[in-house]
Amino acid sequence: MPAYKDISPPELIKARGALHPINHMKDSIMNLLISFGFEIVDGPEIETEEFNFDMLNIKKSHPARQMHDTFYVENKSNLLRTHTSPVQIRGMLEKKPPLAFISGGKVYRKDDDATHLPMFHQVEGIYVDENVSFAQLKDLIYKIIYSLFGEEVELRFRPSYFPFTEPSAEVDILSKEGKWLEILGCGLVNPVVLENCNIDSNKFSGLAFGLGIERIAMLKHGVTDIREFYKSNLDFLSQFK
Amino acid sequence: MKIAYTHLVQHIAENPSIEQVSDSLFQLGHEHEIDGNIFDMEFTPNRGDCLSINGLLRDLAVFYTINLSQEVYFEKLDELLIDFENLSESICPQVSFLKLEIDQVPEIYKDSLDNYFLDLGLNKNNFFTDVSNYLSYETGQPTHCYDAGKINSKLVFHEIESDGDFETLLDKKITLTGKNAVFSLKNEVINLAGVVGGKSTSCSFDTKTVIIECAFFQPEAIIGKSVKYDIQSEASHKFERGVDPDCHDRVLRRFIKLVSEHANIKDMSIISYKSKDNSIHQIPVNVQKINKIIGININEKEYLNYLSKLGFIVEEGFIKVPSFRSDVKTQNDLAEEVARVIGYDNIAVSEINIPNYEKASHKDIENKLRYFLLDHGFYEVINSPFVNLSLEDAIKVDNPLDSNREYLRTNITNSLVDNLLFNERRQKDSIKLFEISDVYSNNNGINKKRKLSIIASGRVGLNYDDFSKKINKKYLARLFQEILPNEVFNFGIVSRDLLDTKIKNEIVTLEVDIDKFSSDILSYKEVSKPPVGFVQYNLISELPSSFKDISYSIKDYSKTQDLQDLLLNYKSEIIKNVYIFDYFKNEKKEEIKIGFRFVFQSQKTTLNSAEIELVYNDIVSQSIRIVGISIPGM
Repeated sequence: MPAYKDISPPELIKARGALHPINHMKDSIMNLLISFGFEIVDGPEIETEEFNFDMLNIKKSHPARQMHDTFYVENKSNLLRTHTSPVQIRGMLEKKPPLAFISGGKVYRKDDDATHLPMFHQVEGIYVDENVSFAQLKDLIYKIIYSLFGEEVELRFRPSYFPFTEPSAEVDILSKEGKWLEILGCGLVNPVVLENCNIDSNKFSGLAFGLGIERIAMLKHGVTDIREFYKSNLDFLSQFK
Repeated sequence: MKIAYTHLVQHIAENPSIEQVSDSLFQLGHEHEIDGNIFDMEFTPNRGDCLSINGLLRDLAVFYTINLSQEVYFEKLDELLIDFENLSESICPQVSFLKLEIDQVPEIYKDSLDNYFLDLGLNKNNFFTDVSNYLSYETGQPTHCYDAGKINSKLVFHEIESDGDFETLLDKKITLTGKNAVFSLKNEVINLAGVVGGKSTSCSFDTKTVIIECAFFQPEAIIGKSVKYDIQSEASHKFERGVDPDCHDRVLRRFIKLVSEHANIKDMSIISYKSKDNSIHQIPVNVQKINKIIGININEKEYLNYLSKLGFIVEEGFIKVPSFRSDVKTQNDLAEEVARVIGYDNIAVSEINIPNYEKASHKDIENKLRYFLLDHGFYEVINSPFVNLSLEDAIKVDNPLDSNREYLRTNITNSLVDNLLFNERRQKDSIKLFEISDVYSNNNGINKKRKLSIIASGRVGLNYDDFSKKINKKYLARLFQEILPNEVFNFGIVSRDLLDTKIKNEIVTLEVDIDKFSSDILSYKEVSKPPVGFVQYNLISELPSSFKDISYSIKDYSKTQDLQDLLLNYKSEIIKNVYIFDYFKNEKKEEIKIGFRFVFQSQKTTLNSAEIELVYNDIVSQSIRIVGISIPGM
């Protein structure tokens, strides 16, 4: 017995906490984009119609502006941003090309059901320079998707419509179950938007893209109900260490 | 919008399969699901021109030979005498009326019309309305049919701003409020323009004389009306997205043709009102620009060939945009047309290299704080900003989802208190949470503050060193003292008096503006690392959990590790967690006392004591087989 007198106590496990999986996903994507040469810009979540809609070529008549889609505050003097795009506008007004910005954060839309929440997260990016083309946009999107889902993933580009990009595309990946899942929206920055930001659209062109963080986090972690992210349940959060 | 494959393919010479048409539609950007023979289309809002058989065929013409054999009435028509005044030409710059009188209402429809209702599973209404609905499906232009016998005074189109009752032809009674574009007779609204007609002038099964209205309304005047009045309207869906302003004559002549195929027309006359000519939009031919935008290299002939297939006309160095393509205005729009025809997936990538220029570093202090808290067992949470409490400077949401979410929170702590109670109700006895978020208030303008908020209560930790220590102000103060010795933090205590809980543990909180933290924190060396890869989430149980403790006495120290190996790796479907909560080495008695806590929870059922005992007894019997250890009292 004396031979064991000096036995060490059991390992003292100091439990660590965990980042929220949405913030972790956002950080991962932002870090990936930083490695591609983007820099982070920040902006407010309470925005003006001018930055959230007008400057982005979203017409007064666009359905997204309706009270049933957008949260307005303080007697319609402001709104809760519906996307992170206004941050790009603020960035473009401050800096001249070449510029490559990303912004990430909370956005708000008037939805609340099993698949949509009134608050969710986006990461958006914009790159403006001379001779930026759709073919380069495709290269960037491939790099992003391959980094997130591996190079064996099958993806497709579909024509789509966003007032602030032209041409516009949506990108789907093929799930293991053989279903196409929409992952991101992208396009070449509409010259109207560049001109709104005092950028000469004859000289410069740009690409832009946006990803919904919850969608990607659900796919990567196998979470099937988006509401789980926001219950603050320790049994849930402690799995993401 | 539902479109039958058979209705499309009858106009396509190559007779493609439904899968081939589906692939072509996807390449063109027309998302859809297939249900049997039906395409359930979801068009982007800029492509109102595709909301019809003819519209889709115009796009499919880039891949197939389209044969549109829809006959129209060619003969000269008499001018309709109608007492009509347009007081809002800016909203309705163009409107036509066609009056038809037939001798007998047909009881049976020809196949071409009948199949529309049959194939799409639609209910028939009355003859003229049925023709109108079919024509909207075929051409994309909605028309409205008034029973001519009920139009007995001056018809006026105008925008009104007075409240009033209106009964739709679908028997729905609504109260019009705010601005509405309407058709009226003697100030009585008979048609909510572009949305739905009124009951008072609608056609019936025996209507033989009809006035058909064919109009162009500015989308801005129509948008939001069907949602506002909760009316399902195919017409408003089309008007909101914009219809072809130059199609009225053809559409109404097609209307005559369809009616003439079913009944003898006794009388017909037409009139058109147009407040301004529609200018043709022209864009210079510039294939170099198109190549530059897309990053391809096609020649001009190829480029113009693509566009001509889509209905664009090239004249004198300009591309004339067809009247149905109001979405095409710039070279970028034309580039998208070309890219769609080539296929986005067929465009080769070109390597992107974002130039190096000076870029700002970011959020270092915030990230240091996050990892510092992680190191001490805190979990990051994210809460919704919507609350029901109105503090003096809280920002009010004009259109909240419900009365419980009318304001934006002015602090994070209240959200964290809710999170804490939520977890306490799930038998958590060591809770440490934090959130970093922007918080907004209205104090002579909208103010934004970025804040860190933390909350902690219960045990300091679940290891044997921390298990019996309770979280209090001192504990948190010591933590922060460690990294920021020169700063003073005001920790708060949340009283449990007003909370729905019987637990007594102290609740300690802290809420600080991020910019109050000094850069001293940047020297903190974090232990925690972000997870490598993305862990697969295991479904959590919402069923209650319970625990059992077992304390051992170990005389043969060499067996301590054997016991740990056995218990910490013990597998059971109902064991959620196991940890050492107590450890004491009594040098005098040459004895180690060690306590293990087992937390039981099932994914399937609420566990009863017998189910727990079964596993517990197995653990006990396996562990006491180890020579040199015992369970005191057993």
